[in-house]
Amino acid sequence: MKKITGAEIVIQTLIEEKVDVIFGYPGGAVLPIYDELFKQKKIRHILVRHEQAAVHAAEGYARSTGRVGVVLVTSGPGATNTVTGLADAMMDSVPLVCISGQVPTHMIGNDAFQEADIVGITRPCTKHNYLVKDVNILPNVIHSAFFIAKNGRPGPVLVDIPKDIQTFKAVYKGKKNTKVISYYKPNLKPNINQIDQFIKLLEKSEKPIFYVGGGVINSGEVASKNLFKLIKSTGFPCTQTLMGLGAYPTSDNQCVGMLGMHGTYEANMSMYNCDLMICVGARFDDRITGKVSGFSPKSKKVHFDIDASSFNKSVNVDLTVQGDLARILQAINKKIEEKKISFKKAKIKDWWIQINKWRSKDCLKFKNSDKIIKPQHALKRLDFLTKKYNPFITTEVGQHQMWAAQFLTFNKPKHWMTSGGLGTMGYGLPAAMGVQIAHPNSLVIDVAGEASILMNIQEMSTIKQFRLPVKIFILNNHYMGMVRQWQELLHGNRLSESYMDSLPDFVKLAESFGATGLRTEKPSEIDDLIKEMINVKGPVICDVIVDPSENCFPMIPSGSTHNQMLLGPNDKVEGEISEDGMVLV
Amino acid sequence: MNKKNLKHILSIMVDNEPGVLARVVGLFSGRGYNIESLSVSEVDSHKFLSRITVVTSGTKIIVDQIKAQLAKLIPVHNLVDITELKSFIGKELILIKLDVKNKKTFDLKKKLERLSAKILEENDLEIIVQFTGSPNEVKKMESILQPYKIIEQTRSGLVSMATGTDYIKK
Ligand SMILES: Cc1ncc(C[n+]2csc(CCOP(=O)(O)OP(=O)(O)O)c2C)c(N)n1
Ligand SMILES: [Mg+2]
Repeated sequence: MKKITGAEIVIQTLIEEKVDVIFGYPGGAVLPIYDELFKQKKIRHILVRHEQAAVHAAEGYARSTGRVGVVLVTSGPGATNTVTGLADAMMDSVPLVCISGQVPTHMIGNDAFQEADIVGITRPCTKHNYLVKDVNILPNVIHSAFFIAKNGRPGPVLVDIPKDIQTFKAVYKGKKNTKVISYYKPNLKPNINQIDQFIKLLEKSEKPIFYVGGGVINSGEVASKNLFKLIKSTGFPCTQTLMGLGAYPTSDNQCVGMLGMHGTYEANMSMYNCDLMICVGARFDDRITGKVSGFSPKSKKVHFDIDASSFNKSVNVDLTVQGDLARILQAINKKIEEKKISFKKAKIKDWWIQINKWRSKDCLKFKNSDKIIKPQHALKRLDFLTKKYNPFITTEVGQHQMWAAQFLTFNKPKHWMTSGGLGTMGYGLPAAMGVQIAHPNSLVIDVAGEASILMNIQEMSTIKQFRLPVKIFILNNHYMGMVRQWQELLHGNRLSESYMDSLPDFVKLAESFGATGLRTEKPSEIDDLIKEMINVKGPVICDVIVDPSENCFPMIPSGSTHNQMLLGPNDKVEGEISEDGMVLV
Repeated sequence: MNKKNLKHILSIMVDNEPGVLARVVGLFSGRGYNIESLSVSEVDSHKFLSRITVVTSGTKIIVDQIKAQLAKLIPVHNLVDITELKSFIGKELILIKLDVKNKKTFDLKKKLERLSAKILEENDLEIIVQFTGSPNEVKKMESILQPYKIIEQTRSGLVSMATGTDYIKK
């Protein structure tokens, strides 16, 4: 068989993995791969302006399609620039393959020019990584990387390829004839006995709640469908995590909204007072639980997840079922049908009455103004005016992110991309590029803060080059709003370094990249601005000047429990925030 | 709920590839788990498998979490909590170099023989003793030799296996 170079193998294996786009940035240590890229037509290369953005773009691509996102970068600084992105993908379980160039094998360890031990650096923030020192195993490694990235709980895999390996030759027999070199076989099939146990709990419960996380979205559309069927057949309420928004339609009446630190009153009170908590693909993150010792004290807890290490990590649960969520939910639905179980509305009637009482507090209400734009109002209008386009939403990190989660509607999975686990400012713009590339004709909006957007603003250049009609909707409050909010609440209103001075003129900035800039500070103009944003064919930056003093409520202050929410600016923290609470992030 | 901190011996079968030990050790340090002892060596040169024995401690919840996290590492094929099995053997090896310059060694050597310790090196200046035993036996040996002048000593991590079938097959 004909031998081909390592660089050719890289391209061939990617083609076999049905990769149609990669996000990257060239440099000395990947020139052979870029040379091969130049010679072919099957894979499109998106040249970003910073390697971190390449990873976030690949994340946006992956999360909006369910496919593996691919990144290509050079050694040293190129590779280290990907670290934040990889850590982000690790925390949010996003399937990625990141290929990095490395100095030639004989130079490794010599502090060679642009050498970085990227395999060492990224070991804790990748699902797995490889340094390829033999061209003969390169096909196995790349196919294994894809397998690992997308199977089980998804995550990023880095493949570090020294430059000499890219030029050495080996035989590539195609994916079918390539043995995956990793022993890795996540179990997908749930244990039926545990399903039976769960059904018993289901039948008994009088105050149940489904607590739904991003795992459902990762499992795929089938999981969402099965979940919808289950929730509908039980008549139970359902709350979603930040990552889970869209796994179940948020406009459905059985949805009580997002839970957690900035979740709704009804969601958190339901979690606190339930007698059965059904966790579907969520992980009891500290943003969800608040103070663990006071977390839902009276409930039996059931946890479904693909990842057994998520069980009993921070909260003890009574029943765990490991497996693919689509299959677990399907098995449950099947059991319910087989046993002809019908859930009596009467049994949970009082529970719904209670929930509706909590609902009637209308915890997301805010005082609108006709003088100054309230960020919540801007988002409500954005939601109303864009709903019919079924937009893809990405966000940066801060108050605007939480408001977007609270005020936008998510009725479909894979339409909401936000940095949940790592909370990475600068995520939203490159993620939106990745989404737009995967869905060229869709409306893609990055809901941004004026501080976050500056963290990857260089990507305006990528947007221009690839004519990506991404819409950037900046809620400009002139502050790192979320930081200011914590400083007000916890640090005596000493606003240390949270004011955003010397901001650019975002309209001119947009124009300088060939985009459209729109700006308003008048509540009366917000609708027109949004309509204009939608109508413009190309990329748009909207600079929406909002009330700089608005804070994000409801809020569970650090170290508090679900029943100790602050509902608005006039709500005071009961007593002092404990020292334990103060040290929490 | 079991809140007691108990010792656990974990036996882990891994691909013998560069970096695999760093992955295991990094998992412990990164997540704040304890390593009380560690030993690694290749045990299957055809399948390139190494066996790692880690002694750790923690409450049941923590140790379950450690095991689940280890099982998630891609090069980990299988792992067994040996302490949870009915009966098992755990051995350590210690080397101790004793200063015997101008000293009578007759009694010492007798004692060592009785305890089945081996003398690996013996000259006018020093004796190097090798002893294998359970961690307790090794500790006892250390204390028996305390009265002598110890020049240096080194001790392996624990290696361990359960009696009966091969619980860590593959
Ligand atoms: C890379 C990074 N650095 C710092 C932080 C801490 N942080 C969280 S929110 C925030 C302020 C964000 O400000 P802005 O983008 O204007 O959003 P706003 O809260 O005002 O809506 C900061 C600094 C972070 N999340 N990510
Ligand atoms: Mg801001």
